[in-house]
Amino acid sequence: MELIVIILIIAAVLGFGVILYNRLVRLRNAYVNAFAQIDVQLKRRHDLIPRLVEAVKGYMAHERETLEAVIEARNHAEKSREQLGGAVGDAAAMAQLSQAEGALGSALGRLFALSEAYPDLKASTNFLQFQEELTSTENRVAYSRQAYNDAAMAYNNAVETAPSNLVARQFGFQQVGMLEFADREVIQEAPDFSFR
Amino acid sequence: MATFDFRTAQESARRASTLLMLGFLAMVLVIGAVIGTLGAVALHGEAVATTGVAAINPATVLGIAAAVVVGILAVALIRVAMLGNDGAKVAQSLGGKEVTEDTTNPYHRRYLNVVHEMAIAAGLPPPRAFVVKNEKGINAFAAGVDPSRAAVGVTHGALAKLNREELSGVVAHEMAHIAHRDTRLNTRLMGMVFGLVVLYWLGRAVMRSFIFRRWRGRDNRAVLPALALAIGLVVAGLLGVLCGRILQSAVSRRREALADAGAVQFTRNPRGLANALKKIGANADGSRVGNAHAEEARHLFFAEAAGGITGLFATHPPLVERIRALEPDFEPASDPIWRMDDHAILHETRAELTLGPWDRRSP
Repeated sequence: MELIVIILIIAAVLGFGVILYNRLVRLRNAYVNAFAQIDVQLKRRHDLIPRLVEAVKGYMAHERETLEAVIEARNHAEKSREQLGGAVGDAAAMAQLSQAEGALGSALGRLFALSEAYPDLKASTNFLQFQEELTSTENRVAYSRQAYNDAAMAYNNAVETAPSNLVARQFGFQQVGMLEFADREVIQEAPDFSFR
Repeated sequence: MATFDFRTAQESARRASTLLMLGFLAMVLVIGAVIGTLGAVALHGEAVATTGVAAINPATVLGIAAAVVVGILAVALIRVAMLGNDGAKVAQSLGGKEVTEDTTNPYHRRYLNVVHEMAIAAGLPPPRAFVVKNEKGINAFAAGVDPSRAAVGVTHGALAKLNREELSGVVAHEMAHIAHRDTRLNTRLMGMVFGLVVLYWLGRAVMRSFIFRRWRGRDNRAVLPALALAIGLVVAGLLGVLCGRILQSAVSRRREALADAGAVQFTRNPRGLANALKKIGANADGSRVGNAHAEEARHLFFAEAAGGITGLFATHPPLVERIRALEPDFEPASDPIWRMDDHAILHETRAELTLGPWDRRSP
């Protein structure tokens, strides 16, 4: 009789442990997926920019330097992205990518500020389409980062709080870094979503 | 920026929804018990007439009660299966036309982009996007039993009258419904209400057959209790449908509040959603949807699709209440957006599409 009770208690504890473990794995997969989504959206952004520059080149012949700066910043950001390879990597590589994206954002900001002086360009359908696509791409990048941070926070909470922290320690679930929004103000000259 | 604690709002709304679902189940159980008792009285009619209540067999009561509860739930399940799983089918039945990647219409392009953005924010696969043409009201809906078969739709009016920020708020609200599995819950609730409707039909049929028999002059002592059972079925069914509708609307109102909170979680921006709601208040056509199927799908929409429904049967909280949850010091009388006329609203959206979102009104 006592043996049965002891076995039942052990089974219950083990079962609870399995549930906690599975929850941690689910949360880990969620943040890994969310991070991969940032990579997808950054790639989208980097693919769009050469087409944008190509489309405005005819109108903004006098702004060659600005256009070149945009392309250069884009290439640099793309290289940083490829280095990171869409996985949660070391902090230095992630910071470098974030910085490169920030530089790209400010280069684009300059381009759009200059476009104010070219009414023909501003009225062209092509440019309007690009403006919409770029706005959307910036938003997608921002939202994918936000989704990653939400997923990372849910995971970190599970790793840190009782009782799942016991399971996390046992099976080596480590805390994961959150993304900084260092380049936000620069990018978001466009729609001014306020992020807390 | 107004502060809006979406996590607390979600938790409280979720708790309330659970309570209301339990209320629905309790109601079905009570109806089962009442009909079980009535049925037992009917079956042992003669014995009851001679010996009183003591003759009722508890096993009979339980048996009939269980049969009624299982019957209601079975009918509900069949109805849920009939309503289907595919959001795109619901969207088409409401008059929606799908917007695809190859669109060149700037309004549609922007809408499709917003849907993709919000899907990313919600961490879900992008749902199929639909537009309901010829509807001037500002409204939107979500359908589909799970995120992989989900669809969202907006009215033509919403595309023409909402700016990018507001449209994002509305689409985020619909994504929140998908993320919270509200579309599934609503299908279940519709099924349960239907189960009670069938109960009423059944009672009516039984009652008719008895009336018919009496007219044929084949009266006997068992008829009276059996007739009482039939009347009981009808009354229970009617009361059940009424309470069911009230509960359904109450659940829906709760889920709407929760979806508003979810929209803020996805956009991190209560202003867009608040301004969209204000434009519904300002808009001459409000959130009306003229489509014939809109009535039965009222709970799917972003705001009341049928006019003039308030109080217990409203599927959405009042507009002003929803706006105040996002902007506590909102006053309709002095709010510039709430007081905008249709022309100014249309012009603003058009201007934004040509000038780009750079040029925006100060909040």
